[in-house]
Amino acid sequence: MTFLQDPEFGDRIITLMAALVLVLQIAAVGQRWLVSSIRIFAAQSFLLAAIAGIIAYFNHASHIYVAAFLTLFLKAGLLPWLLERLVRRIEIRREIEPLINAPLSILIAGCLTLVGYVVAQSFYHPEETSVRAALGHNTLAVAIALFLIGFFTMLNRRKALTQVLGLLSLENGLFLAAISLTYGMPLVVELGIFFDVLVAVMVLGILVFRIREAFDSMDVSKLRKLRE
Amino acid sequence: MILLWLLIVPLVTSPLAFVLRKRHFMEAVNLAAFAVLLCLAAALGVRVLRSGPVSVWDGFFYADALSALVVLLSAFVALVCSIYAVGYFRHDESNGVFQEGEELGGGPAINKLREYYALTPLFVFSMILVALANNLGILWVAIEGTTLASVFLVMFYGRETSLEAAWKYAIIGGVGLSMALFGTILTYYSAHQALGTDTLAGLNWSVLVGNASQFDKPTMRLAFILILLGYGTKAGIAPMHTWKPDAYSEAPVPGAAMLAAGVLNCALYGLVRFYILSSKCLGPEFASHLLILFGLLSMGVAVPFILVQKNFRRMLAYSSIDHSGIMVLALGFGGPLGILGMLLHMTFHSITKPLLFFCAGNVQQQLKTDLFREAKGGLIHSMPLTGAAFLMVTLAVTGAPPFSLFLSEFTILRAGFSRGYLVLAVLFITFLVAIFSGFLIHIANLVLGPNPGLPPSETCRWKKSSVVGLALVIIIMGFWIPAPLFRLIQGAVDIVTNGR
Repeated sequence: MTFLQDPEFGDRIITLMAALVLVLQIAAVGQRWLVSSIRIFAAQSFLLAAIAGIIAYFNHASHIYVAAFLTLFLKAGLLPWLLERLVRRIEIRREIEPLINAPLSILIAGCLTLVGYVVAQSFYHPEETSVRAALGHNTLAVAIALFLIGFFTMLNRRKALTQVLGLLSLENGLFLAAISLTYGMPLVVELGIFFDVLVAVMVLGILVFRIREAFDSMDVSKLRKLRE
Repeated sequence: MILLWLLIVPLVTSPLAFVLRKRHFMEAVNLAAFAVLLCLAAALGVRVLRSGPVSVWDGFFYADALSALVVLLSAFVALVCSIYAVGYFRHDESNGVFQEGEELGGGPAINKLREYYALTPLFVFSMILVALANNLGILWVAIEGTTLASVFLVMFYGRETSLEAAWKYAIIGGVGLSMALFGTILTYYSAHQALGTDTLAGLNWSVLVGNASQFDKPTMRLAFILILLGYGTKAGIAPMHTWKPDAYSEAPVPGAAMLAAGVLNCALYGLVRFYILSSKCLGPEFASHLLILFGLLSMGVAVPFILVQKNFRRMLAYSSIDHSGIMVLALGFGGPLGILGMLLHMTFHSITKPLLFFCAGNVQQQLKTDLFREAKGGLIHSMPLTGAAFLMVTLAVTGAPPFSLFLSEFTILRAGFSRGYLVLAVLFITFLVAIFSGFLIHIANLVLGPNPGLPPSETCRWKKSSVVGLALVIIIMGFWIPAPLFRLIQGAVDIVTNGR
């Protein structure tokens, strides 16, 4: 079992999982069923928790275990459950046609991934041969890509709930960036961020529910009364 | 200990107001809590002046002159808004505004009041936490907290338009703050190699500021851009300002006043902390140019919207965009004079802005409209006190002498000229004059224009006393700044220019 101690092996596993996270994000871009989008988010968060766990294991950084566990519990468990309940209660299953159609959206997502790699390149110092720097490079690119694609999803989708999912995947990108760059933020900060994400989803959930009641729709492009 | 008390008081008030179901109790608890908070904030200011920065829990909470100033301003705004809120919500209740809301699923009146009086202390708690958190991550958490606590204030009335405003506010704020979080992570990363520490202190501002010159420069550059975009969204500088007119015109007036005078300071405070780090790491030019660009852009965006504005509450929001632009510009001019101008402007703006909202709120409640066209004019006859105060505060907020904002804007102008930004300073004056004339034409018409024949009607004494009291403070501040307050501002200027 010596390979379990080999940092090279850990690095490869993490790169593989980060790639899967990216694939899921691109799959979410083309997805039109709300429940599937939520499950894709849950799967993505599960992989993130696993990445955090592996980084904690190979670097003997015990405080990342807490972040990994919280990600697993909140983002892969509680939040998807809450969101699915909300979907059932407001009885809307399908996203309306996004502004840009699926094939083109996926193409754009691919381009954004390239942008992520270019930006991540500038943080990569090859003279630092430690595992840490190498590990940062690939995952950071994925993290920036997640951030940009989440941003794009929020612009592209008109359903209130999909925008919330976009915001959450954007936050997933930040989490990945934080653990790949610096092994996570200090624990207290990490806890504060988790708390804020949880409260934000609840607040937005209530807001989605109220919008649905008042407008009989979740289409945020109908929110256009306030104009100059 | 005083730092903890500053946080405990509002935090305890929230559940207390929630449990007390009687309106009188909720009002009393809020008023008492914010009065105590203001005293504590003043005590903190005195202590910082006497014996330098205060910290507890190994520097987890930390207050220097800059934090003490922001705490003092937040507490002041909270108190005046809570005094006004008593009269405002009683008027709402007796006019059956909440009953209309009830049909839209707003719940009975007392529940709405409970919502307001329990959420406001949480909102204030987050604002105080912003100023007292030493850790830049906690600073971010607290600023996000101010958004979350105030989303419900924006959707308070449950109208379709309020939901729309709340949605925009939450989503634009959320995206903006995620950029700020990215900036915070990158700052941590750029400091990480210099400090080589994984502990909590690695993100403490008081630790970072001493080592800022060794940070990784390309990373810090990207981090500052993200922070500027993120906290700039929260401060409402252009082009991320679009949530502001909607949120300010839909929230209940005391809540909107707290957003405009309280949260604005908190967001700028976050920006200033990173500005200090960035100018120590990269030199002041990099941040300055960006800040000047965004500051002037905000002022420029506000001008046309103020000139053609039809709705007086939306006009206040554009005034707020203008003022955050002025402060960002002053920070960009930099140097002791520019920073002094910015902090003076922040102080005077926090004192003046709530009165503008209160007057607009009185007019809206009395005439049941927020459009200039429907409000017509002649307020000086139908509401003499509010009308006079409205005209006065319009002059004050647009920076006419002898009011105090003239002093700060003049200081900023001097900073601009002395640093050699001639063209920009001229542009600054042009925008100021345009906004002044736009504001004055609209409000003068509203107050002095022909009276449509409404009978004189007086508002309740809570509303009157908050308007008169605040007007007196504004007039006095035009001629005399208390010496300790000025020394606090000077201390804060030292922190921004020298990092300590």
